[in-house]
Amino acid sequence: MDWNRVYFFVMVPMVYAAFIILIGGIIFKLVVVLFSKKFRGKLGTYPKILPGAIGVIKDALLVPVAWRKDKILWFFIIAYHVAFVLLFIGHLELIQEFKLLQIIPHQVFLGAGAVGIILIISVLYFLLRRFRSPWRDISVPEDYILLLLLFLTMVIGSHLHLAARYNAAGFDIPVEDYRSYLSSLVAFNPAIPAGIAQSPHCVLVALHIFLANLVLMLMPFTKIIHMAFTFLSLNLQRK
Amino acid sequence: MRYYIDSCTRCGLCYDTCHAYNGIPKREYSPVGRAEIVRKLYKKYTRLSGYILPYWGDATKFDEPVMNQVYDAAWSCTGCRRCMVHCPFGIDTGLIMSVAKQLLIENGTAPEELVMLADTAVEKGKSIDQFKDGFKQVIHDLEKDVQAKLNLQSADGLIPMEKQNADILYAGLAGAHTIVNPAIIFNAARENWTLSFFEAVNFGYFAGDPDKAEFIAHRIINEAVALNVKEVVIVECGTAFRIMRSLMGKLPFKVSSIVEVIHRYMREGRIKLKEKNVAEPVTYHDPCQLGRNAGIYDEPREVIRTIAADYREMSPTKEMNWCCGGGGGLVALDNEEFRIKSAKPKKEQIVETGAKIVVTACENCASQLKTINSGYGLNVEVKYLTALVCENLIV
Repeated sequence: MDWNRVYFFVMVPMVYAAFIILIGGIIFKLVVVLFSKKFRGKLGTYPKILPGAIGVIKDALLVPVAWRKDKILWFFIIAYHVAFVLLFIGHLELIQEFKLLQIIPHQVFLGAGAVGIILIISVLYFLLRRFRSPWRDISVPEDYILLLLLFLTMVIGSHLHLAARYNAAGFDIPVEDYRSYLSSLVAFNPAIPAGIAQSPHCVLVALHIFLANLVLMLMPFTKIIHMAFTFLSLNLQRK
Repeated sequence: MRYYIDSCTRCGLCYDTCHAYNGIPKREYSPVGRAEIVRKLYKKYTRLSGYILPYWGDATKFDEPVMNQVYDAAWSCTGCRRCMVHCPFGIDTGLIMSVAKQLLIENGTAPEELVMLADTAVEKGKSIDQFKDGFKQVIHDLEKDVQAKLNLQSADGLIPMEKQNADILYAGLAGAHTIVNPAIIFNAARENWTLSFFEAVNFGYFAGDPDKAEFIAHRIINEAVALNVKEVVIVECGTAFRIMRSLMGKLPFKVSSIVEVIHRYMREGRIKLKEKNVAEPVTYHDPCQLGRNAGIYDEPREVIRTIAADYREMSPTKEMNWCCGGGGGLVALDNEEFRIKSAKPKKEQIVETGAKIVVTACENCASQLKTINSGYGLNVEVKYLTALVCENLIV
């Protein structure tokens, strides 16, 4: 079997397909809800202390309902989502250098490994709590599979980062090769540099990208769509 | 509904926020447990994953065991929406349950008592002219009670009907107390009001039939428009008030609860109340549809604090208050044992206050609180806010 062709498929066409499905899927979901027949009534609950938009953002970003009921869950929700934002910023820096992001000078990948570790621990917490009652009774296969996919993606991604940073086991893929690869994708002139394609660790890079592609494709069609819908449903609660 | 179906991450934060689950810890009595039953059906028939890989979301199809689960879920939910204030996404399980009730209607397994009551209300709306004379006669008899309370010379016109251009159209219920007490208050305040021929309660909404619910609500709306009133005042009935205030869209008149109107009269000096006249400790149960779902918290408390010397607040309160367990049409069903068990957190709230009188402003709440009182042997008196006001009115 020609693994190079498999790696190329995963790292180029599948990436494009993943982003098309991700962006197209989110737009589709938003169009369906925003253009569907509006509910005539009001669904607000009271009291409403903060004005609409501020209240929505506060509820969505600070999750006060979790703080009230389960502080440990709240901690991991906040840690996970903050780390995810930093993960996104870190991947931007793998496309090209952004001087603005170097306001606090740091070596790429952002976080010195902490972002990945926080994500892994958070995802493990979310996953393991679902194995006990009462959360086990309400969980469906989607819940476990999504968390497993995220866990595996993050473990491999974290390994790629930590091994490169600490030059472990002769890890040999520098940041410049990632930037060459990702910026070629963004420019629609895809090319996998030899530094990745001929590395013995190419299989890990491909596996990380394969799993991430799956997560991106699933995002709009699973509960992860809450990233867009949360603001809209919380807004309904304030009307 | 699309937000509510897709956004739920099954985090479980809502799990024990429902009074029913607190009293009877079964999954289908938790908000997420209830919603999942509908969600799995929804996925099966509206999602690609439901067709090609139902395992993914545990999508289920319509069959008798599932519809039995839908029944248990829908008819254990009062629609109080306490779960909604505990949900990070603001998911309205009450709304999802209204869809579940509609599925049961289509399946022919909705509670017969509520369907029958809804049909009766619809028939009354269609043939109101046949009811008017009999109703007027009953009302005429009730006017004597109003006359006695207010020490008036004549009973005539104390409960006006079909009064064109009245400021207020008041919609009561079938019980005489829901007409007499407000009539006493309206007359004491010298209000320009008229009584609706129709009861405010909406059995179509309770039953889960949106067409009947719409028709039943429009009986009062059409009457208000025909009489050209400025304001429709709803009796102490949480769901009836919420439907008219929040669920019927923009209306050509103001919608108020009788609670708000009493507070307004008190504030404006149109009625005078005996201050600190009730010595026994009093507490107030916020009807969910007035409090959490309409924001009417301060008005009843100001009225009660004027009358009661020892007012005690329940804990938790306001939007965190526990539902009594009688709303959503549940109090009309043959399910007293369930309602007593599911009222365990409300019972604990009442006991903790040490109150001897529990005041509320909702017919279903009052019925349920009386059931809780007898079921748990609390030895408290349950009183309507309007009754408390009438008893302490300075005539």
